[in-house]
Amino acid sequence: MKRWLWALLALAAGAGLGLFYGWIVSPVEVVDLPPETLRADFRADYILMVAEAYQSERDLDLAARRLAIFGSDPPAGIASQALQFGPSAGYSPSEMSALRALVEDLRGWQPSGGASSP
Amino acid sequence: MRRFPWEAVLALLVGLALGLAYAWIFAPVKVADASPSALRADFKDRYRAVIAAAYVANNDLPRAEARLALLDDPDSYQALSGQAQRALSSGDALQSYQLAQLASALQGIGAVVPSSTPTEAVAPPVPPRDETPVPLPATSTPSDESAPFPEYTPTARPTRTPTPRPGSPFELASQEIVCDETLPEGLLQVFAMLTTGRRQIPGVEFILSWAGGEERFFTGFKPELGNGYADSILSPGVMYSLRAADGGVLLSDLTPPTCTKTSGENYYGGLKIILQRQ
Repeated sequence: MKRWLWALLALAAGAGLGLFYGWIVSPVEVVDLPPETLRADFRADYILMVAEAYQSERDLDLAARRLAIFGSDPPAGIASQALQFGPSAGYSPSEMSALRALVEDLRGWQPSGGASSP
Repeated sequence: MRRFPWEAVLALLVGLALGLAYAWIFAPVKVADASPSALRADFKDRYRAVIAAAYVANNDLPRAEARLALLDDPDSYQALSGQAQRALSSGDALQSYQLAQLASALQGIGAVVPSSTPTEAVAPPVPPRDETPVPLPATSTPSDESAPFPEYTPTARPTRTPTPRPGSPFELASQEIVCDETLPEGLLQVFAMLTTGRRQIPGVEFILSWAGGEERFFTGFKPELGNGYADSILSPGVMYSLRAADGGVLLSDLTPPTCTKTSGENYYGGLKIILQRQ
């Protein structure tokens, strides 16, 4: 009986060591991630870049295609995430203005069709 | 004498295997809050293209550099110029232009993204322009706790020296006749260079015009000959003019020269033109 107790304890200790090694010491290395996994500030910065580019390019189709990297949600919805995030990240008034302009323009945007991903 | 506890050792090993299997296979560390450097290569390309597009729009080079650093490319210039060439060959001239502009700007100030640039652990929120960077709210990423955002020290904004911008007009560096029987007759070779570091510039559009027509071609289509190399064929007896699409010197009266083979026979040679800008 005592022998089985020791075996169970050893099993638990082994499992604990395995979990520690697998989660902390050498966790699965993750590469080739999709953009949805980006941290909120990186995601918002990407959207801000799209807004900055849109300010000079004035190409809504291109902006929408760039935002489609985050999935099939409406581009205006994707862009508005950065608008909500911006104040807490300290975006400047001009950056907020660029984001606002992009969101507003995208709300009235209809896909022109046949557009391919950049 | 006590027997060695083989059962316990066996159980320990089994437990270890079970623990590892659970940690690596059934419940691996969940990925959330990833940095751009962990993105798949094609998404990195799209991220890089948007960085270049934003740079062309706002001309904020330090910020573009900080953003590029997040991608963790071994050499940002190479990554940009390589992608510019790929974009060019796939027919996306706008993206190619934007990438090439940013690549040129990086070279123009001799900047290579420094290795001391904040790493993923400190994951710098790119500081907003014209503002003191405000630390982002802490996230649940363990690395953020060990290296919180307030430790991020914004890079001092460089004072712009009154040097011409990377997009300054091209000037003629050299123009020479090439008499080489092994080359196609009338071959016009053009090299676009930066005066700083003598680096070649990919994605530069040139306009070759003649009476009644014009042709546009780009550098970078033949990377084996150089990132800044482009060529075209000149017809004998026709006078051509050449200029970069974004301005600069206009070279006129270009026509294939007459060369003589060792056998005494005449043939049309080519021209080699090197244009440079700062």
